[in-house]
Amino acid sequence: MLEKTVREFMPVLLGTPEGLPDPDIEGQTRFALEYLSAGAKEFKPVYLIAAASFKVLAVLLKRKPWSMLTIEEKDYVANKLFSYSNPLLRSIPLLLAMPILASYYRREEVQMALGFDAKALKADAELRTVTRDRDLPPKCK
Amino acid sequence: MIIRPEDVKGDITKSADVVVIGSGAGGAPIAKELAVEGRSVVVLEEGAHYTRDDFKLNPLESMMRMYRDAGQTITLGVPSVVAPMGNTLGGTTTINSGTALRMLGPILKKWHMFHGLHDITEDEMGLLYSHLEEYLFVKKADPEVAGPVANTFLEGARKLGLSSGWLPRNAKECEGYGSCAFGCPSGAKQSMDVSFIPDASKSGAEFYTCCRAESIKVSNDVAKGVTGRFVDPSSGRSTGIGITVEAKVVVLAGGAIYSPFFLLRQGLANSSGQVGRNLEIHPAVQTVALMDRPMDPPKGIPQSSHVDEFKDEGIMLEGGTVPPEVHAVTLPFYGKAHAAHMKQYPNMGIFGGMVSDIDSWGRVLALPRAGYSPSIFYSLKGRDVEKARLATVIMAEIWFAAGAKKVFTAITGHTELGSTADLRRLAQSRIRARDIYAMSAYHYLGTCRMGSDPEWSVVKHTGETWDVENLFISDASILPTSPGVNPQLTIMALATRNAGFIDDKLNNG
Repeated sequence: MLEKTVREFMPVLLGTPEGLPDPDIEGQTRFALEYLSAGAKEFKPVYLIAAASFKVLAVLLKRKPWSMLTIEEKDYVANKLFSYSNPLLRSIPLLLAMPILASYYRREEVQMALGFDAKALKADAELRTVTRDRDLPPKCK
Repeated sequence: MIIRPEDVKGDITKSADVVVIGSGAGGAPIAKELAVEGRSVVVLEEGAHYTRDDFKLNPLESMMRMYRDAGQTITLGVPSVVAPMGNTLGGTTTINSGTALRMLGPILKKWHMFHGLHDITEDEMGLLYSHLEEYLFVKKADPEVAGPVANTFLEGARKLGLSSGWLPRNAKECEGYGSCAFGCPSGAKQSMDVSFIPDASKSGAEFYTCCRAESIKVSNDVAKGVTGRFVDPSSGRSTGIGITVEAKVVVLAGGAIYSPFFLLRQGLANSSGQVGRNLEIHPAVQTVALMDRPMDPPKGIPQSSHVDEFKDEGIMLEGGTVPPEVHAVTLPFYGKAHAAHMKQYPNMGIFGGMVSDIDSWGRVLALPRAGYSPSIFYSLKGRDVEKARLATVIMAEIWFAAGAKKVFTAITGHTELGSTADLRRLAQSRIRARDIYAMSAYHYLGTCRMGSDPEWSVVKHTGETWDVENLFISDASILPTSPGVNPQLTIMALATRNAGFIDDKLNNG
């Protein structure tokens, strides 16, 4: 059920990042589930409650059955809920989006497209030797 | 010696002078100081041991392995606050920013006047801070390494004539890999795992990792040792192997959330009823700026600069870059709008405003929950809400002075500031705690506070509990109030100080 929920909300909350790599629904869903499982035990049921609440509120806001709503309409609902001053309503898209956004923007090819090459930085860091010695020259690179 | 769970084949029974629960900023200095004095020291650390080889600039992997609840710990209250905590050898120091500031001057006076802590003198703290600063290679961040975000923000602050500068950090030869909060990949940051812990090990201290302390053995109100259990680092479940350490002194150093949780579960040291109360967390709001030039995030030192103009009012601005996957969850949009904004990530910078909370209410409780997790209640109240708003206004003003095209805030109704007119509207508004949609906190304090009155405090100025002889607490929980700045150096200073009292105690039998 959790997997279905993540898959269902991924295109809604992630949008279609133009000029960035396409979403990898399979891999991202796998990671999102792993991330949700690593958190507090209550997180998974709360996530499902948030998803159910989103659907009910979407139907009420757009006056259409959930199955008839387009991605754009669901996108509108997410941003609408987030604009409310009621913290419970606002936290619905916030919570649903967290593992989904993280699962996409953690991907190496996405990060590279955004100018962040973690592998190259790590390789550079590995070349450095930092000791606690106070007498040796400060660095060797 | 650092012992990993795979090195342990069966139940362990040991005796030592001192057993320490936790290896963070409160536990590791005590272990080192006492081991160097020739005391036998055993440390039980619930987290696993990771080294720089494991730190791959991969935030989420790090959070899932080295943070409690994968970094998803949230306080219950208004607003909900994300409260990340380390769960690894070295505690939160392994995944913190490395900011190493001394407590603000007037705070110690408050401790004297309102908590009767006259034994902790300014001179003594000064000596301890100096010693630690040398030991941990503390020096101000290098502007050339700090990165464009920090330099741009300081440029804005200077234009406005605000007091600002480079933060002192416990990092040696830092080259700005932008990943302090996920483990330093170059070993530059002098967190406990690369400083106190190796030195304590060299002097004979034993560190058992993936080992959760379960109870403190007490007989006739005197602590006698600790029992614990090894846990699987990924699931947190018991491996079935136990450890018992008989010791003359027990030091609890689990941090200001887990130390009170531990005591409350066991009903220990709480005749005052203060265990778990008085929680302060330094709640922080953030602003994200969209600039007209590359900010090159997250390269540089994530937290290298500060604006301290308003420190006496309890507002410190410290910032601020994060990798894309963390940045993505800070933007106030979803779907198409979110994707469009994330494309501009290379031109974005983040800065944070930390509030020293005085009116807010917080408490740690041990309520029935699945897993090994305390319940953390916290509500932002009174002047602290106003401080959060002010911090946001000041940060936005600085960003605009530095040339920002837009500033995104965490305040509903003001999430996107496109001009100084929007900024004025925020500056003139009144907000409620519920209007803040995202807050985070990194410094949990005060839940087993020190004091001179056993009815209002949990420990004496020495760190020893009023109720249980030979049971000491050494972590942020004993700080009676916020130190006004990032607390790690103060926690280490008090730990080093209290190691002396423990040593005296052992000398006197």
